[in-house]
Formats: sequence, C-alpha cells, structure tokens
Amino acid sequence: MSTQDKVKINQLPTGVPGLDEIVGGGLPEFSFNIIAGAPGSGKTTLAHQFVFANASPERPALYFTVLGESAIKMLRYQQQYTFFDPAKLPDSIRFINLSQVVLDNDLGAVLEAITKEVERANPAVVVVDSFRTMVRKPNSDMELQSFIQRLALSLASWQATTFLIGEYAEDELRDNPIFTVADGLFWLRQTAERNSIVRKLQVIKLRGQDSVPGLHTFRITDAGIQAFSRTFGLTARKRNPPSNRRLCFGIPELDKMLDGGVREGDSVLIAGSSGTGKSVLATQFIAEGIRHGEPGIVAVFEERPEAYAERATSLGLDLETPQKDGKLTILYLRPLDLSVDETMQSILDAVQKIGAKRLVIDSLAGFEMALSPGFRADFRESLYRMIFALTGIGVTILSTVEVDESFTGFPFSTYSISFLTDDIIRLRYVSIDGQLRKIVVVIKMRGGNHAKDIREYEITSKGVVILGERLTNYEALISGIPEHSAPSGSKDESAQEPTIGRKK
Amino acid sequence: MRDLAHRLLTYEAAAGEASNGMEPPALRVYQKLRESLGEFAGSVAFQSLASRALVLARAEAPSLSAARVAADGSLQGLGEHELQLDMNKDRAGEGGFILIARLLGLLLVFLGESLTLSVLRAKWPESALNNRNFENGRNA
Repeated sequence: MSTQDKVKINQLPTGVPGLDEIVGGGLPEFSFNIIAGAPGSGKTTLAHQFVFANASPERPALYFTVLGESAIKMLRYQQQYTFFDPAKLPDSIRFINLSQVVLDNDLGAVLEAITKEVERANPAVVVVDSFRTMVRKPNSDMELQSFIQRLALSLASWQATTFLIGEYAEDELRDNPIFTVADGLFWLRQTAERNSIVRKLQVIKLRGQDSVPGLHTFRITDAGIQAFSRTFGLTARKRNPPSNRRLCFGIPELDKMLDGGVREGDSVLIAGSSGTGKSVLATQFIAEGIRHGEPGIVAVFEERPEAYAERATSLGLDLETPQKDGKLTILYLRPLDLSVDETMQSILDAVQKIGAKRLVIDSLAGFEMALSPGFRADFRESLYRMIFALTGIGVTILSTVEVDESFTGFPFSTYSISFLTDDIIRLRYVSIDGQLRKIVVVIKMRGGNHAKDIREYEITSKGVVILGERLTNYEALISGIPEHSAPSGSKDESAQEPTIGRKK
Repeated sequence: MRDLAHRLLTYEAAAGEASNGMEPPALRVYQKLRESLGEFAGSVAFQSLASRALVLARAEAPSLSAARVAADGSLQGLGEHELQLDMNKDRAGEGGFILIARLLGLLLVFLGESLTLSVLRAKWPESALNNRNFENGRNA
C-alpha cells in the first residue's frame, strides 16, 4: 500500500513536556488508552494535562469521576498545577460524577450514562477516573469483556480520544481483557530507593506508531508531570559527521601536547586527585572557547555558580560577562534525587538555548552524588547515552573525575568509563627532591598524534602553566615516587635535563 | 459571599417572576447548586457540603433548626417564610439567604474563586455573577 493510501492518524499533544517524544510525536487521535499505576503515581495528573492541552469549547473534554477520590478534593489539589486553567471549566472541560450510577446499576447502565453524555457533548477527549472501581462490579469476565469492547467502540465511533485510569498492580498485566482492547497502555511506577522516590513511566503498548521503549523517568512539580525520554529528545536529529577542527585550552604547551587541541565533538576526561587542578583546566577550556566565540555550559554539582565564577576570576578569567551576554551558562544542578535524564534535559535545554559548543561536567563524582541512589546503579549506562547524544550533535564535552592516588597503579577513573572518552588527560602528584609536584600526561586521543611526554605543571594566578620541557631524568614518574636516572647523554635530552621546578 | 448569594437570589427571584414560578428563589438557587455540584462531584459530595452549610447557617438563623438535608441532597423541613426573599427587608436575617451564602462560602474554601465561578457558570449567566465580592464571603 502506498503512503497516500494509508489513513493518516493525527497526533494530539500530550500536554506533558517530554512525553510527545516518548510516544513518537503525540498521542494517536481517537485512541483508547489506559493509564495504570499505583495510587500516587501521577495518573490523574497525567490525564489532566492531556485534557487541558486538548479541550476546547467546540470539542470539549468529559471527565467522568467514579468512586474513589472526591471530585471536589481532586480539583482542589489539581488546580495548584500551573497547567490548570479554571477558565476552561465548564465550557471546555466538564466533570461528571458517575458514583451513583455505578452504585445503583450494572455496567450496562454505566455505559448508557457515558454514551448519553458523549452524544450530548461531542467531546474530543473522554476520561474515566477511576475505571478500576467500575470494573470491580461485573458478575463475570464475559460481562466485563463485553462492557469494555462496547465502551471502546462507542467512544472511538464518537471520535473521542479516551483515557481509562486505574490502579493496577504489575502482575495484573497478563490476561486482562482491558489491556487487550486498549490501543495505548501507559504504566506509571513509583518506587522508594533508599531515601529517594524514583518515578518511571513506560509505554507498554501504543498502536499505530513507534514509541521509545524502556523506562523513562519523570518528575511531578508545580507544573505537573515532566517526562525525560531515554533518548533525550534527540532521536530525530542526525549525528554530526566527525570534525577535524581542534579546540584549544589556551595553554600553548598543553595544546601542543594535544596536537593542537581536542577534536570538536570529542569527549575528554581529565582525571586526577584532589587539588591537581582539574577544575582549573576545565575553566580555562571554557574560557578559551568563549574567547573564540564558542558558547559554553558548565554543569557544576559541588559548588554554586557564583563560587565557580569567583574562582575563575582569581585565575584572571572573566566568567561574569559571558554569562550576562548569554555566551555562558553555569548550571547548578541541585544535589540529591536527580535522575541522569533530568540532568541531561537541563543540560540539553541550556545547550540549545545558547548554542553551546563546549560543555564541562565538573565533576563526575559530584554528578553521581547528585543522583538519587536508585539511579546510581545505572550511572555508567546513563552517562554513555548522555555523552553519545551530546557529542553526536557536535558538543565537545570535558568531564573531570577524581581518582584515588595510588603509588602502585595509574588509574584513569574510578568509574571504568574510559571507554566513554575519546581523550584522557591525567594529572597527578609526584614526589621529587623533597617536594610534592604535579605532572600531566595525555593518555589517549582519538585519531590524534598526541605527545607522549610527561610534563610538570603548576597552578598559578594565570591558571595551569606547563613548566620546562618533558621530564627525562626520572624513572617511574607515573608511580608518583620517581627515581633519578642517569643522563642518557643524548644531546636532546641533556638539553632538557634541568627543568624541574623551573618555569619556562 | 453574601454579595454573590444576594445576586443569585435576586436573579432567581426575577427569573421566577418572569416564568410565573411558584418556587421560592432560595430554593431555586439551592436546587441549581445541587444539580451543578451533583453532576460534577456526585450527590453524596453535595449532600455533605449542604449539611455542613446548614449547620453553619443555623448559628445565624435559628429558624433553620427544623431544616435538614436529605440523603439525595434535597432540602427539607424549611418553612415557607425562610425561603422567601423580600427585597425590601434586611436579607441578613433570612435563613434561605444565609444557607446559600454558607454553601457558596464552602465552595470558595474548597475550590477557590476561579473554580467556584466555573461551577456557577454552568447554571447562571455571567451577568448574575458580576460584581461579586468574595472577600466578604470568607466571613459570611
């Protein structure tokens, strides 16, 4: 069948930020949907957002309430959400209570009452909340099956997009005639993970279009539900082709070590122990980008943006002006209970808002600690999705990570995430001549001919400054406790020998 | 809320006269509220609210002591004189008027001004709802 022969299914906005992306663009018009989940999981709020986004005086929404939560109490609370527009009542949205009909009659009478109102109002949207209380009444499975099918047929024939809301446990999913009839099945979950609540949404079924599979986190705020797609809303965007452009740090010797800088679209990891200057390097990377007209984002988890900018000022880097000019955003992502997807959404919004080219995540340890404990188990997988998505749209990401310093090993990260990075720069302390000094080495660079040198550096009022030439007269430098080695006698190396402790 | 109650009663008094209706205005307002609230919140919810409003109103109008709200939300046991609205008298003493004001006051408490007006708009035209003074209603 050619494309033009197929019936076109209109998609309706869900009214829930992020959910349209998850359901594949919008909810199919005239579909018969079920929102299931435990009490308090956000079912009613989700339905309300859909209703307020789609109801109009010409095609209103009918919201049938049954036994359970009182409509007065429900509206008392629901009107606190910013999407709730009281002016839409009663012309665009009508609430109808069916409790008495359900109590006094059989399912046939309930169907008749709903049909009567639907025929009268010609609604675009019909919600039955809670449907579960209604279907506890049938005398037999056959009566229930018959009722569901007649209801679905009737509402679809009247060109209404329908939501049935019900409290269901997950083990009820199988062999339930309601779920068989439904075109769309949305499951909301709310689980306690240590001291945090983790909310997740799953589109178990959606006929007629591709939805994003898997569990998507969502949050309920005063604006209602906000969903965070596992694909971060980037499914429709093509990955940028690899770029050969180099992005500098503005530290000439380091940029030389990096063969001119990191490649645009790379994921760079700066690893080192506390005080080695990871954040200083990250700040210089962002500031250099701004100098070259490349907007940047800094996601900080361990300190406030003001403190971050102040520290930059002490290094002679002005982060205040670019923030005012819209060239830089310092995101402070509040600690505790964040999901990676929420964090990602905040970063993505900021990236898109200012057209950022450089992104600093300072630090991965802080990022992990900011997550709800339940999300920490998925940290690496989530981080992979995030980095893949962002670098795919051409953003160069620089992450800092603190490593426990060892004198027997040379770890790059405690997260085993080096596979996520294209380039790794390692900073570490070394004990030389009774002093604790710092060395930098480029461990790897994707497709780049980086220097193999181990260089000493200092953190000065101008930021990170590489000292002298590469260190040649020491063995086991990366162990942190090197030993003097005999000069090799080569002309080149002897010329570079007395460099420790000397600024170039 | 007294102002809004007065407006609704005045509107229904005029509507009743125009249609030669025999029903007292307070009962007409009560009945419309019952229909409107009953539809969206259910008769049980309306019955609960009306019962609470009646208890509150009795404190101001002892003549309401014989009145009661039936299980279906209808108002019973009210003397004819309690429901009549005499526009030339001080309406504050009339039980029906106080009962309506109390009922509207409860709606305001639970639903807020915007939503209360939305509920009322289903039964009354905008002209009957204008110039309301809800702040007075909180003390009604």
